[in-house]
Order: sequence, then structure tokens, then C-alpha cells
Amino acid sequence: MKVSLEFGFYGKSIITSLLLGGLISPVVAEEASPDPAGIELPYVYTNWKTFTTKDGLPNDHIFAVEAVGPEVWIGTENGLARLDKKTGEIQSWTEKDGLPWKVISALAYSEKTGELWIGLFGGGLARYSAGRFDHWHQLNSGLVNDVVYGIALENDNVWIATTAGASRYNTVTGEWAIFTEKNAPMEEIWNYGVSYNDGKVYLGVWGSGVLEYEVATGNWKDYLDPDGEMEIDLYRDDGIVHVITTGTSYIDGILWVSTYFGASRYDGRHWRGYFAHECGLPSDFINAIQGRSGTEAWFATDKGVGALADFETDTWVTYTRDTQTNEGLAIVSRGPEILKEVRSGINIPHNYTLWTEMDGNDVWIGTSKGLAWGIGEGYYRGLKAATPAKADSGPGTDEPNTTPVRR
Amino acid sequence: MSRTYVLLFITVLTFSLMAVSAQEAIEPVYVGARVCATCHNGPEMGHQFSRWLMTKHARAYAILSEPDAEKIAELSGVPQDPQESTLCLGCHATAADAEEWELDETFRIEDGVQCEKCHGPGSEYMDAEVMKDRTAAVRAGLRIPTRETCTVCHHEKGSHVAVHQLPKLDREEAWKEIAHPAPESPKWEERLLSAPDPEPDSARSRIVGVQVCGECHTGKDKSYQYSRWKLTPHARAYAVLATPEAYEMAQAEGIEGSPQQAEQCLSCHTTNRANQIPAMASYSIDEGVGCESCHGPGSEYSYEAIMIDRTSAESAGLLQPTEATCRPCHENAHGKPFDYQVAWPEILHSAEQTQIAEKIRYKTPLNLALSPGGRELYLACEASSSVVVVDVATRKKVAEIQVGGQPHDVTFSPDGKLAYVSNRLDDTISVLDVASRTHLRTSAVGDEPHGVLTDREGKHLFVLNTSEDSISILETENLTEIKRLSASRNPWSLSLSPDGSTLLVTNTLAELSAFRTPSVSELTAIEVERGIVKSRLRVPGSNLLQGVAWHPSGEFAFFTMNRTKNLVPMTRLMQGWTITNGLGIAWANGRVDQVLLDEPDQAFPDPADVAFTPDGKLALVSSSGSNRIAVVDVERLIEILRSASDEERETLLPNHLGTPTEFVIKHLKTRHSPRGIVVTPDGSTAFVANALDDTVTVIDLASLETDGTIDLGGPKEVTQVRFGEQVFHSANIAFHRQFSCHTCHPDGHVDGITYDIEPDGVGVSPVDNRTLRGILDTAPFKWEGTNPSLQRQCGPRLAVFFTRIDPFTPEELAAIDLYIATIPRPPNRYRPLGSPLSPAQRRGKVLFERRFTNDGRLIPAEQQCQTCHPAPLYTNHQVVDVGTKMTYDRDGRFDVPHLNNIYDSAPYLHNGIAHTLEEIWTVYNPNDRHGVTNDMTKDQLNDLIEYIKTF
Repeated sequence: MKVSLEFGFYGKSIITSLLLGGLISPVVAEEASPDPAGIELPYVYTNWKTFTTKDGLPNDHIFAVEAVGPEVWIGTENGLARLDKKTGEIQSWTEKDGLPWKVISALAYSEKTGELWIGLFGGGLARYSAGRFDHWHQLNSGLVNDVVYGIALENDNVWIATTAGASRYNTVTGEWAIFTEKNAPMEEIWNYGVSYNDGKVYLGVWGSGVLEYEVATGNWKDYLDPDGEMEIDLYRDDGIVHVITTGTSYIDGILWVSTYFGASRYDGRHWRGYFAHECGLPSDFINAIQGRSGTEAWFATDKGVGALADFETDTWVTYTRDTQTNEGLAIVSRGPEILKEVRSGINIPHNYTLWTEMDGNDVWIGTSKGLAWGIGEGYYRGLKAATPAKADSGPGTDEPNTTPVRR
Repeated sequence: MSRTYVLLFITVLTFSLMAVSAQEAIEPVYVGARVCATCHNGPEMGHQFSRWLMTKHARAYAILSEPDAEKIAELSGVPQDPQESTLCLGCHATAADAEEWELDETFRIEDGVQCEKCHGPGSEYMDAEVMKDRTAAVRAGLRIPTRETCTVCHHEKGSHVAVHQLPKLDREEAWKEIAHPAPESPKWEERLLSAPDPEPDSARSRIVGVQVCGECHTGKDKSYQYSRWKLTPHARAYAVLATPEAYEMAQAEGIEGSPQQAEQCLSCHTTNRANQIPAMASYSIDEGVGCESCHGPGSEYSYEAIMIDRTSAESAGLLQPTEATCRPCHENAHGKPFDYQVAWPEILHSAEQTQIAEKIRYKTPLNLALSPGGRELYLACEASSSVVVVDVATRKKVAEIQVGGQPHDVTFSPDGKLAYVSNRLDDTISVLDVASRTHLRTSAVGDEPHGVLTDREGKHLFVLNTSEDSISILETENLTEIKRLSASRNPWSLSLSPDGSTLLVTNTLAELSAFRTPSVSELTAIEVERGIVKSRLRVPGSNLLQGVAWHPSGEFAFFTMNRTKNLVPMTRLMQGWTITNGLGIAWANGRVDQVLLDEPDQAFPDPADVAFTPDGKLALVSSSGSNRIAVVDVERLIEILRSASDEERETLLPNHLGTPTEFVIKHLKTRHSPRGIVVTPDGSTAFVANALDDTVTVIDLASLETDGTIDLGGPKEVTQVRFGEQVFHSANIAFHRQFSCHTCHPDGHVDGITYDIEPDGVGVSPVDNRTLRGILDTAPFKWEGTNPSLQRQCGPRLAVFFTRIDPFTPEELAAIDLYIATIPRPPNRYRPLGSPLSPAQRRGKVLFERRFTNDGRLIPAEQQCQTCHPAPLYTNHQVVDVGTKMTYDRDGRFDVPHLNNIYDSAPYLHNGIAHTLEEIWTVYNPNDRHGVTNDMTKDQLNDLIEYIKTF
């Protein structure tokens, strides 16, 4: 029943996608259109592996991914899994294995303690610590609500975004704090996402934009859509594009924001809005966001994954899957202009994407039909000039590529 | 807008206003008795203030300076100075738990039990205009006390009775004694007790008042000089003028009216001698004969910078009183003879004069460590707060180093230059310099640290924070804590694998398990290099995991443990009756075996520590309950395990009383309560710390015989408390010598499990174990509240239901009761004395004290928190039905537990069914019978719990 809450919002599209979705295991890029002469291009992921229940995942609906060194933790609709990147082996836990609740909506790994914090959609908060699951929920702890959407680790604190406000749990003192409309500028209390970096906690709140909490001072700041319009973005780049936010990511002093109506980037002074009709964002309906740097961010949407590869030139790579042929398609675009198309055997197993995770040069995409691993051999930041083709050259080298895709 | 919406709007508005009204908390502050006295003084008001000054209430704070107070504190489990204990001050002072902002600058805690203790903080009702109208005053916070108000503090307390031997308080008589009615037609006018501000250019020395002196001349270091004055008749010299006797004397001398207004009387009954000496605003006439009556006006010498040098102080006017100082007032005063030689000693109050006699302080060595070269033995001595150093070659004590409170464990840095000690009472680590045998510094860690150990390189120090279930990792270079790992429950001891890669940690309390399911405990394995928990080994059916040691091969570790049959009545003799004692074997691959050290007719109670010989052939295990060491043939034990089937290893061997005879090759006798064991690097000798007679047993490992004892220099006299402690830790009290009191109450606390004790059927009336810390004054005892005294609790009933053996002798019973009473309660982790409440705790306090629900409904008194849980013990000593009766409970009424340090004694409720404080109200209070809580929002409940943790 709890799951239906989540699916209720975007249920039609996910169900349709699930019906159409298929699965093909690891493949590499097959073909690419010729590089436009004299244009710098971004790195394009063409080497993908996918994982589904057939590979050992407990469920194909991938709601959260957390890459930790040689391992990747995967949160699904029916259990937790850990993938060994080297062997491809998957270990999984469901409720019968001690997992306190089956639906996992968020994951956060503490490098400091080696523990995995787990957001449970309808079940509260859990911690996986060396084989032991600890469980906090609204009846046995100070957690404000059991419908958890996001988790972020801030020093010794765990922040939990829930449907009834945000909670903060101090793992040393055991104190719980609750942030709602009573003590934060939270016009709505439906917290969709939370992230932490560089002393700032960001909450993505359904209907209340983005809230910034500065850890050093305990001060709150809210970011709302200044034009106040829900249907259109009346004034361009005046603030976040919409107040129904789904995720935040703060990196290199840049705040990336995803909403169900587009995306935003904020450098502390200027906002920039992104909409599907004018850039490589596959859809304005964005489920999750992950900033890789101040100039690169990945957006998981209901119609594929959009990666803003270079902010300065507005260059995007859009990854989708052709549901008829099961082929993967990567489109390189600059603003609305398509620069290049790259087809591969498969990239993401489904276009309904729910999560993106950066893992060094690699990326992980959680979808409604399994997990995708984009292997970023030779990944480079930003753009590189296209050069005449050479045999065996590919994105894995630092030398100028004949093409951004591997042949 | 439709009518429906209008009605809805009105309804919402109404409830909002009600809620606002209920929540608009007036925040009154305490103003102090002298502010009350501005009106409630003088003959027109029946001398109310002076009458209070004459009562014991006014001296309640000062009385805490008496030696008896220290004795009572000890019997109350209070390890602090009584004048610095929230528990003592809770009844001996006013506003003991108030924050600074709740105290007006006119308030002084030294004034003891003042008006506002019973009448509530006065800032909002103290105005004469408000006080004229009692209804208005009550609305503004004035409380009208009843006899029940007194019960909170005047409930008979075992600790006080034991020391004072006073009869039970006659409440009716006491009520009369403190009555202070105003005349039928009271008249009041504001009378300033303070002196007017002096003229700034006045050249004369002025009186500053005793309160100024008291700022420095207080506390143990100053031999409580201020309090000692407060207890003398001098401090009541002004107040006594309000008594009928004073009136009579005055009349006899021709003085009409109030003696308090007669110059003749005031000249000897006040410091300023009826205004003959100018005084500063800090002076108050009600102090009677204060310091400056004899030492001269203090305005020029009362500064600390001057007072530290007597010559300077005397130059500035400090007088040294002599007989001549006393005589003018005392000689033949009111026809009474004056014997200076008798009177003078009574008021002597030099800071050095009344040092309290040195208490007998035992050592109580708990754990020990050999220096890396094996030259010296360091012992952590709990009772003496010290580390005793023993020279191994001469087997003599060579030094003793004072450390923090209740040291528990000690370890050396790998280079042997430093030693680290965990101080359980202080929540700190002490660092000792080995060469100079000095205490270098302390560093704060978590709550009640026990085990302590470094990694092989000595870069990191691992500290087990027992009471908060965590493990601190500190960098030894600067003793900075870098992280805190999650243990299981009450991590106790730890051992480093021979390759230095893994630390194995025992957790003495089992995990919180579902209601009426067996215990499961955890061994926590830490990957040393990364400083993370790498595995958690589960030990089914066990609890009280304590000592641990790795075998030199690194293939396995041994740990001590108990297997408690808590789910069936304590009558079942099969498989070892109630508590079996044994050894666990944790294999490097994660497998865990369990074997017993008990034999059918001879148990091995309270296994406390284990150590291997360097060749790994033998393991020594201490039994603190039977004063023995078991010598285990390791190879034989491992062979037994390896030759057994999986099923036998899982179900048979953990419960088999016949097995130990196959691998325990010898038992060696020690002295009282052997705890820690170490073996010398050459494998020749083992040392065992005998906690309760301050010795070390030496074992010759070649002959497997004891080879003498080392005296650690503790007192030879066995006091009644010490005898009680020995009885408490001895399994001689139980059938088959299977367990001691200490078994279920390690550190005088809890073992964290629920017991089905009585033979009334399986599962009938299971009860949660309760702490013994600070227990004496929390009568009645037993969850059903049927035992009015500890004597009853520990007397014949104990033998019938628990120990199944002859009951304690009267001497033993008296001693054990006395010892139990002295088990100290650690300082509160969430609110040290005097510290302000956190914002959440502050909000929680308002909820704890609330009288209205969020929507404005009055909460019946019996459902208000503070009705049943009044400070400072937070129990009303009654049995109450809060709706927690379950099918197999005999009765629904249970003893109201005290709430001091409630955070560290999970699980909760009478049957331990609530694993967390939250569950008490979110799960087990559906009908608001355990306080009205269901209207609370989640953040309010969080705040309430944060406040409760400060008790």
C-alpha cells in the first residue's frame, strides 16, 4: 500500500514503461553518426551493463543506488542488494533476512563508520552495520514519519526526508530533531529529498521549493519560485523553476535542483532553469538528480536520463532506450540543437529512471526495470575537440578522440 | 463561502485560540524569599518571613554541609558533594533544577527551602495588587500547598532514617510547625530588608552582608564556612526577635512593640547594630549576626584579591575577633551567663578546622595490565580512584597514581611509555606517564567507559562507552576522538587479535529481544585499520558477555558468558536451573561455540575474565562469584568442539553440565571476587585482581598452583559496607552457588532482561530487572510495590523465590542492604548540574508540567506527569494502574518507578515490553492512562523525552 503512494504520482508512466521494457545484458556501443567538424564534444557512455532480478536483484524497481568502492548498494521495491563490481555477484536481503521493511527509497553510506543508512518507504529508517539491521520508526524513536524519501549524512547526524517533515538524528547523543512548518520555512511538509555537502543541508520539499540549512549557524533559507506560478515559469531564471522539488545536489558551490517541472542550477547569485523543450533534458518530470561537479549533473526522468555535460556550452547527453528495438540511444545536443547521435546495443534497461549515482568515472542508473552501470573508461570532464578517426581509439584515452563513442 | 466552511472556520479558530491560550505559558521566575519578605514581614503580617527563618526549611541547604549529609548521600547513591547534587538539592533547596534564566538575581539557592518551593515561582504573582486577590494570584501561578505537597520530600527515606534514626515525620505536627498564617486583618507595606545605597563619598567602611562573604566562603574547600554560620543561632538572631519569647523579654526591658524595630534589640541582633554602621545594598538585616559583626565591615577587604593576603585584608579592616568582641552582646545577655570558653569553639569556622575524617577507602582492583616488558603491573582500582603500580619482580606495590572516578580498565601504549585508564564515573580517559608515574591529562569519552585498548602501533585508542552502547576511537597523538562506532548493548571488554587486525568486543547486555523470547548477545568485531565494525557475531541464548582474549594462534578467541533461563520460573533444575555460566569460543571465520564451566553440583558463577598462556595451551578463567580460577586445556576443548556434530555444537554443548570435566583441568582458589587476569609474556606467571580484598593472586603456571598474594595496601578493616559488598558479589547465597546478586546487577545496575521469577506458572507476571543505583530512597520495592523496605526485599523472600537456599543471616542482610544503598548513581549524562536545558529539553519541561492538552482541555491531576513523577526522585512511591496490565499479569497496579538516569535502563515498563522510551507512549498508552500523551505531536513527544532524560 505504501508503494502505491509513490506510484500513485507517476503510476501511469511507470506501469506503461514496465510493460514495454525488456532486458539485454552487457553490450557496447555499435555505431555513431559522424562527428560534426570542429565541434567539441562531451564524453558519451557507451559501455553499459545492466542488472535485473535475473542477475540476482531482489526486485527490478530500483529506487536508490549508493556506490562504495568496489561495491554498489542497491535499494529496490522489495529488498536491499549489494553488487560486487568485480565479480558481478549480488547479495540481497529481504524482510526474511532481517531487513526491517521491504521498500527501500534511499541509501547513504558513512565512510566514517562503514555503515549503510537505509530509508524505508513506509518503514522508517534502518542501518546496516556489519550484518546487523537496526531499525528506527515513528513508534520506537523520534523519527517524524515512516514514509522516508531521502537520507543524507551530515557529520554525526543523519537527516531524513519524510512525508511529514524532516528528521535529524544525532548518532552520538541519540537526540532527534524534527523540522516542519513550526521551526523551518517549510510551507509544505512533504520532503522529497535531502542532500548534504560543504556545511549545507538542502531539503527538496514538495510545494515548498528548496530549504537550505547552514550547519554552522543553524539558519534556514528558502528558495521558492519567485514568480509564484505553478503552471508556467513566468520569468526566466528568476529562481527555481518550480516549488514541487524532488531532489537537490550541492557540489563545488553549485546547487542543482530537480523538480517535476524542470531543473535548476544556482551558483549563489544566478539561477538557470532547464526544460525539456529547450535542452537535452528528456523530460521535465525529474525523479532524481546528482551533481557530478559544478558544471555536470545527471537527471533521472520518466523518459530517460539527461546529463548536462558542460554547463558553459549547455551541452547535454541524453540517454534513452528505444522500446521497439531495445537499442540504446545517446543524443548529444547543445541547447535544442542535436549534434550527434550514438547508438549502442543497450544503455539503460528502461526509460523510467529513478536514480543516478556517480561512481568515479562510472555512473549508475536506477530504473523501473533494473539497474544500469555505465562504465566510464576514459571519461573526461567537459568537452574535447573531435579529431580524425583512429583505429582503437575511444573515450578511454586522454588523447583527442575521433569520436566520443567507443567503436 | 458555504455554511459548512463557515462552521469549519469557526471551529478551527476556536480550537486554535484554545490551544494558543493553553500554550501561552507564563514563564515565571523564582525571586527568592527576601522578595516575599518585603511584604510578608513585620508584626502586621504575623512575622511570616521571620517565622520561616526560624524553621529548618531555611537551613535546609546549609545542613547539607554536615558530615551526616555526606553519609546520607552515600546511602542514596549520590557520589557528589550533597550541596552539588541535584537529588539532594531537589529537597534541600528551591528551584534546584531551574535554569539560570528562571532565577531572578534576588534569588539565592543557599536560602534553602523557601516560600517558592511550596508556593511556586513568584515573579508573576508577587505584586501586592495581585496578591490582594487570591484568585488572581493563583491564576498568576501562586500554589496553595497541601499536606500532600510535603510528601514529595518528606516521604520516609531509608538513607535519612539510617543516619538520623529519627522517627517517622508526624505530618500534622510538622504542618503546625511551619504554619505561618497572616493576621486576620493583615497590613503590609513594602519594607526593604536591604540597606539604602550608601553615599558614594562615604569614607567609612561599610557592611557588605553575609551573602557577599558566602560567595567565596562556601563549599568543601572552604569547609562550608557559610553553611556552618547559617546553622548557628547567629544566623537567626534577627528572626528570633519575632518570637513571643522575644516580645516578652523586650517588654520586660520596657520595650514596646516589635523587638525587630527596637534599637536596643537590633544593636546586638543585627550586623549593622541598628544602623550604627553604614551598609551597602547587598546587606540584608535579616541575616542577623553575620560575618561582619565580628570581622568588621567588609567593603574594603572583601575583594578576593585582598582576602588572599591576610596582612592586606587586615590593613583594609578585617578584624580578628577575640573574647572582647563577643562580650558586649553576650555577657549577661537576658540574664544568661556567658562562658566564652564554651561558646567560642561552637562558632569556630576556620577553613581547615573541620576536615571530615578520612573515610575508609578500599582499592577494589578490577582489571590489570602488564607493562610491555612485563616489569610492572598496573591495576585499575575502582574504589580508590587510583591505579596501583606493582613491581613484578619484588611483587610489591611501588606506587599509586590518582586518576578519575571509578577506574575500570587500564592498558599500556605499545612502547610502554604511557598508560590509559577508563574512568567510569567521570566518563573520561586518564593518561599516565609511566616513567614518572604521574597523571598527565584526561580526555572526555562516552558514558561509563569500561574496556580500553590501543592498536598495535599505538596510534589509536579504543574505548568502550558501556552505558551508551558505543565505541570511541581516539587518536593517541592528541587524544582526540575521531569517531564513535555503534556497539551492541553495554560493550564491556576487548581484545586485539595477534596480527593486530581485529578487535573483538564483548557486550554484556543481550540485544533487546521481542517480548518473551530468548536472549541473543553480540560480539562486535572491529577492523582496526579502517576503524569500522566488520562483523557482528551473534551468541544465541547468552548474556553477560564480559572477558575476552584471543588465542595466540589467532584462530579463535575465548569470551566469558552466562546463559540465563529467564523465560521460565526459577524452579527448573534441568539443564542447570536458572543461570548457567560458561565460555564462548569465537572463531576467526565467524562461528561461535558455547560451553559451560558449571558442573552439576558446582557452578562457576560470574565468569569475569579470561587469559591465555603465550603457548596457547592453557586458558585461565576467573569466577568472581566463587573465588576460583578455572584452568582450561585449550587443545582438549577445541578437540571436543571439532569432533562434535553441528547439532551438538548448537544445542547440546552450550547446555551440557558434564562437559567441563573433560577440559577444565584444575580449579585454583583466589581471594574475594577475582576479576581481571593477565599472564606474563614468558608464560611463567599469572596475576589475578581480587577486587574485594585489595590483593592480587599470583599463579605459578608451571605447577598450576597459587604462589602467594600481593597486598595492594587497602584497609584491613572490613566495614559493614565492605562485608555487604562481598556478600553481594558472592554466589554462596544461591543454590549450587550458581549466581550472585552481582550476576543480575553488574555494576549495581541491570542485566537488561525480563524474568519470570515466581513459581506461579510459565509466563505469569514477568518483570523487568531494575537498577540498584540509588535505590534506597525509592521504596516501595518490587514492581508490585509490596515490599516496603530493602530488608524485606532482600530477606526471606529472596531465598524463597530467587536463591533457593538458606536466607541471609541477619548480619549478612544488614550488610548487603547497606552496601546496596551505597551503589552510586552516575551523574546524569544529559544535564550536568547547573547546565542549562537544551531548547528541546526546555520545551519538554513545559510538556512535563502541563495541565492542559493541546486543544485546551484540562488534564486531570492523576494524568499529569508530575503528579506521579515529582522531582527529585520522580516517583510518588505509590502503586498506580497506567493501563499496562497484560493477560498474565496478576494485577494492573505497579510501583511508580523513579526516573533518575532513566535513559540507561531499557527496556521499560513493568515487564520490559517497551524497548524505548518512545514506545511507552506510542504503543503502550492507547487510552492516555499513562499520562495524557495522545494529543501530542511527534515533535512534542520527542521534546518530552529529551527532558525526561535529564532527570
